[in-house]
Amino acid sequence: MPTSSSARSVRRIWLLSLVGAAVWLAAIFLAPWLAGRGRTGAARFIYAAFAPLCHQIPDRCFRLSGHPLAVCGRCLGIYAGFVAGLLLYPLIRGFRRLAVPPAWLFAALTVPMAIDAGAGLLGLWRSPIGLRLATGFAWGTVLPFYFVTGIADYFRTRRDRRMSRALEIGAAKK
Amino acid sequence: MTQRPEYLRPALIAGIVAGILSGLPFIGAGNCVCCLWIIGGAAVAARMLAAATPTLLKASDGAVVGALTGIVAAVTDALVSLPLRQFNMGLARRILDKAAELGGQLPSGIQDILNQSAGAFSAGWFLLGLLVSAAVFAIVGALGGIIGVSLFAKKVQPPAAAAPPGPAAPPPAAPGP
Repeated sequence: MPTSSSARSVRRIWLLSLVGAAVWLAAIFLAPWLAGRGRTGAARFIYAAFAPLCHQIPDRCFRLSGHPLAVCGRCLGIYAGFVAGLLLYPLIRGFRRLAVPPAWLFAALTVPMAIDAGAGLLGLWRSPIGLRLATGFAWGTVLPFYFVTGIADYFRTRRDRRMSRALEIGAAKK
Repeated sequence: MTQRPEYLRPALIAGIVAGILSGLPFIGAGNCVCCLWIIGGAAVAARMLAAATPTLLKASDGAVVGALTGIVAAVTDALVSLPLRQFNMGLARRILDKAAELGGQLPSGIQDILNQSAGAFSAGWFLLGLLVSAAVFAIVGALGGIIGVSLFAKKVQPPAAAAPPGPAAPPPAAPGP
């Protein structure tokens, strides 16, 4: 049974993840917004920061103020899905229980994106940007349930190890 | 006290392979698809860890081995990319010039990266890039490692390796609804 302190720790990790993911998502929209206002230096910096993570092909990006977003439709879907998953996390999982989603759910949310991306890479199919967004979003929603669980479990394990070591030292002194 | 799994070996093997794939021309573009090589490499590291560890693995084990894999991959990627830098830049320029000739639009950030890379090589920029990619790859790798453990780790403790219950052995993060 998790203690209230471990529930607090999970809540803290969830909150930090939510803030970090929201800032990350906001930066994607900030780049074209800045470019549209003539602040090209700052906009270029953000575009360049996202370049190693996304192909940024303008035809596959949504637009804001006449400029493409900093990532493509599929990546936008993944990041937006991650934020949506984080928002759903307390409602679905709560902070008192650490559990990863079942494998079938992960597969069910991964397969549509994998088929869409794989068929596109093989030149079999050119999907509309809305479908890329949707399949990316579906995959992104499941990711926080792994991320928050794994990081919270790491800190819980570290705390338990420390407690166990302290008990051993105490027992050895007696 | 429970023994920690041996994280370093799977992280080194999977991280070096993922880093080489990330640093190679053409193949490295796989990272543009949801950091494919890093998530995949971390999941493979988790699979190797599960195969080498007789006890049950937890989500935290996946996070640790995945993060280590991401860091190793970032360092390997930087080292592999270094000698291939001129080749990669030349290749990217040719592709972009061809795309421009055909009337296509250039990706938003790539021109700045090429312009920046065309300048003299600086150890400071190299280290800054390495630090940023190590941080990003560690986070993405941790995610891949956690997914890998959830998919590949043993679900039931083998009888021979069963440890007595105690405060140092919290229950693993089991699949939930």
